[in-house]
Formats: sequence, C-alpha cells, structure tokens
Amino acid sequence: MDKINRRKFIKSAGLAGGALSLAGVAGAGYSAGADKDSFTGYGRTAYGEDQFFNRKPFLVDKPTYVQEGEPVRITSIEDIFKRNGELSRLMFSRNGDQPAWKPSDGLDALPGYLRAYYQANPGAFDEFIKAMQKGREQRTNWDKYRDKYFIADAWSNAHSSPIRGRSSFPAEPQGKPEESDFRGVNKKRLKLKSPRHGSELLKKICYSFGASLAGIAKVKKEWVYQGSLRGIGRVDYEVPSHWKYAVVIAVPHEWDSMYANPTYGTSYDAYSKLRFIAGKMEVFIKELGYSARPHVPPTSYDLVMPPLAIDAGMGEQGRNGILITPELGANTRLAAITTDMPLEPDKPIDIGVSKFCKKCRICAEECPGGAISFKDTPGEVIRGYRRWKIDQNKCFTVWNSVATSHARGCRVCLSVCPYSRKNNWIHNFAREADPRDPTGLLASGLLAMQKKFFTYPGGQEYLPPPDGNNRTFGEAPGWLRTEEWFDL
Amino acid sequence: MFNNSNILEPLFWIIMGGLYTVFIIGLAMWLKDMKVKMNWWKWSLTLLWFILLSITVAGGFTLIGENELRAGLLFMAVPGAVIIVAGVALGRFLLRNTNEEKDN
Repeated sequence: MDKINRRKFIKSAGLAGGALSLAGVAGAGYSAGADKDSFTGYGRTAYGEDQFFNRKPFLVDKPTYVQEGEPVRITSIEDIFKRNGELSRLMFSRNGDQPAWKPSDGLDALPGYLRAYYQANPGAFDEFIKAMQKGREQRTNWDKYRDKYFIADAWSNAHSSPIRGRSSFPAEPQGKPEESDFRGVNKKRLKLKSPRHGSELLKKICYSFGASLAGIAKVKKEWVYQGSLRGIGRVDYEVPSHWKYAVVIAVPHEWDSMYANPTYGTSYDAYSKLRFIAGKMEVFIKELGYSARPHVPPTSYDLVMPPLAIDAGMGEQGRNGILITPELGANTRLAAITTDMPLEPDKPIDIGVSKFCKKCRICAEECPGGAISFKDTPGEVIRGYRRWKIDQNKCFTVWNSVATSHARGCRVCLSVCPYSRKNNWIHNFAREADPRDPTGLLASGLLAMQKKFFTYPGGQEYLPPPDGNNRTFGEAPGWLRTEEWFDL
Repeated sequence: MFNNSNILEPLFWIIMGGLYTVFIIGLAMWLKDMKVKMNWWKWSLTLLWFILLSITVAGGFTLIGENELRAGLLFMAVPGAVIIVAGVALGRFLLRNTNEEKDN
C-alpha cells in the first residue's frame, strides 16, 4: 500500500513539477523582458562590460563599406546641420544687426557657396522652406501638447543645458588646430610601453568616464570635413598631421525615452553624456602629454563619425545611415577625440548588418518623412562609397514637425531597428546566431517574426495631427508621463 | 526572475533544477507504468521537446515583459502550436508499441 502511494505521489509530483517548471520559465522570461538592467550601455559599468559582444570571430581586414572610385572629402555644407547653421547665421540677427538673408529673398540672394549647393541639389531649397514652415506650425501647436509632454520637455531641456552657450563643455577649439589641440598639453611625457598599451589604456579610461563602447581608428582624410574648420571658420584645409588616430566613443539614448520618441525626449540625453566623456578624454590625453581635440554632438565635429566608428570596429552602417553596433543596435550616438598619441587601431567587424538591411526595410517603412531608401541594395555612390542615400532634407522637415519643444526628437529609425534591443537571452540568441548563419535563413525567419508579430504604427502616425497622431513605437515610461505626477 | 536579489535569484534556479528533476523522475514512472520502452534517443527526443516547449513559453513571456503583448502571444501561439503538434506526434509514436501490445 505504502509503495503504491509513494509511486502515485512521485507521479503526481512529476506532473506538478512539469507544470511548475513551465510556470517558472514563464516568470523568468517575463522578468528578463521587463528588467531595466537588461538595457545595455549608458555607462552602466566603469570597466567596459557594456561592450559585451565578442567581436573576435567577426574581425575583418577591410571594413564592410564598399569603396567605388576615388574618395572625396565631404564639404561642411553637405551636412544639413552645418548648412542650416550657416543659414541660421544669415537669417537671425546678431547684436541687433539686420538679418543678412530671409527665405523670401530667394536662392539668388544667398552667398555663392550656399547657392551653389542648392543649385546642385534640386529640391533641397524647397524642402528647407517647407521645414521652416513646419517649424512655425510646430511652435504654434506646441501649446496644445505642452502639458502632455511637460516632463519629457523638462527632461530634454535639462540634458541640453550643458550644450548651450559659451560655457558649454568641452569648449570649442579656438584658432588653428596646431595651436588649440596642443593648448594645455603636459610637457612631461612618460615613455609609453607600446601603441597597444596606449589603446587599451584610453579605452579603459573612456569606460571609466561612462562610455558604453570605445574603439580606436586611424584617421582617414576622407572622413574629415572640408570647407570649414572649428576654431578657424570657412576655410579649405589639409588634414592636420597630428590627427593621427581617433578614439571613438558611443553611448545609447536612455532606452525607454528612445522607444517612446518622437514625443518623449530628444537626442540631448546622449549628446550631453558624450560631451562630458569626450571633454574629459581631451583633458586626460593632454595630461599624458599628447594633443587632443574632441568632436562632439550635436554639431561640433570636424570628422564624419559613422565611418570612423566602422573603422574602429564598433559596428556597421545600416540602411538608415546610422552606425549599428551589436550591443546598442542603431541606438548608438558617437563622439571622437583625435590625437597624435601612438595607438593601435582596432579591426573592423562584419556581423552581417549590410546583408540584413537589404532584407529588412523596417526603418524605411516607418520613417515619417520617407527619408530612407527602399532600394534592395545600396544604390548610389556618394563621395566614392556605395551606400543607401538618406534624404537629410526630408529627415530635417520631420525633425522640425514633431511635437517637442525647441529640441527636436525624431529618432524613429533608431527605435524600430531590430538590432536596437535589450541585452537578454532572446535577443542575445539572435545577436550571436544570426552572424554565424551563412545561409541567412535564420535572419529571414527572425525578420518574418519581427514584421508579423510586432506592432509598428506606420510612418505618418508619428507626426502630430492633422498629418498623424503623435504615436510612438514603444510606450512612454511612467517617469516621463506628466499625468502620472501632476494634475492635468 | 529576481534579478536584483543575489539571494532569491540563485535560490530560484536551484528550485527550478529540482522541479525539472522531479518532472523527469515522475515522467519516467508514468512511462514505465504505461509500459513504454524508452531508450537513449527516445529520452533525448522527449527532453528536447520539453526544452523547446519551455523556451517557447519563456520567449513569449520575455516579449510580454518587454511590453510587446501581441508579439509575446503570437510567439507562443505560432511556434507553440507547432511544438504541441510535434508533442502529440511524439506521444503517439512512443505509445504506439504499447497499443500494439494491448491489441495483441
């Protein structure tokens, strides 16, 4: 009798054990998904633990961007923010002077270099006028949304505060790079054991300052802007010989606000972090006895960041034109410090981003401005490199339209990218398995699930009414929702 | 499960290990009582099926935890349906010989 009961008991316990273990994995899974600590980056550790992906199996000798023809340096006015900076200086008076130009004066009244750009890029000027109009509408409509996005706006303004004005950190270079980059350099320099030691040390210091990712690249002249140099102004110049290496650093945006863009937050959270890290790196490198020049967001760059970061082995360029890294996906914001300190560059990686982007197109489908290419393969050769072209003018128009205050927040292409996911088991399986699958079948399967299972609002929905409904890809976190904290 | 507790988290996985052990011992008894003759590859298939079921449940709830309710439910429904069908097929296969014995 006892024996039978024991047997029955074990059999019943077995059934209960099976059911409970399934409940247990459900709970463990839920916890892994909900855990905020599985958001990676944002300086969570001082030891580089955020750079958790093992790059060694994916190191390659040549970067994955495709060179076709002779590389050409980008002129500064080809960059929309630098171009708009020039226009802004003309449109808005300084010291009470009359504005030198207003849009109604038309293209012909612009200085020759700007007129030449718009004549060479038909449609860009009209798009700029449209962006200005959208900006005016946005400012008029802002009162309707101010209360709803009150905390998000305050949060963004707090992040942008260290960037504004003359006291911003790091200070803008003054004068020639041969002077400004050496200003404050320690005259006492110890003998570095080797360039490899130099690279490892600088990366460790970057992590200790809060960088999520860090890499070292040799400065190629085609990544250096032409036509304008910080500290000098408009000038054609040769790449300074002391810009030998670049220490490239990356942090993500705060993940919850990034998923809830364009309305809940802006880019300034990552920008301000990068500025502090890069500014402190400038001081650190100068203390070691070498020249240093930080290149920081939003616009204080003399180099183009994504290709530099690709050279530094941090990731690859995606369809959306943004650097995609294994750890942060497209939620990667970049800064760099150029230096003459002897360093050993990192090798680039190939984790299959360019192949995946050919199939995916989610960012193109979701872009509210239609600024991202739908082409199957990178269709254009731009300054000597074949890539997908981003229509930066359309991007800027949307950026000027969304329901945020002065600091605009559209980062939809970052949030919808399937690479921009948490550091938990399910996404890490995809991260590790996909680049190891030579058939590409796994990527196709995962992409099919991504498109069928997940909810995407669709391009226009991210815009304010009447064009859209202020939708976001992810739900806004409670700490950014005004109604959770204030009576509305 | 208890990510921020360094006491409860290891305890949870120890208990999970115990539950899986109890499940396997119980399953072995069920199969023995049902006169199912198991060998290494039948055991491997059975345990593989249960692991796949566990992964599907865990995957679905991970997505639900990420605020992706629809994705989580579909993740459990679509691969889950395939796994349930595979499980029924596996069960019928394992029980086939016992049914034949009963018929004889």
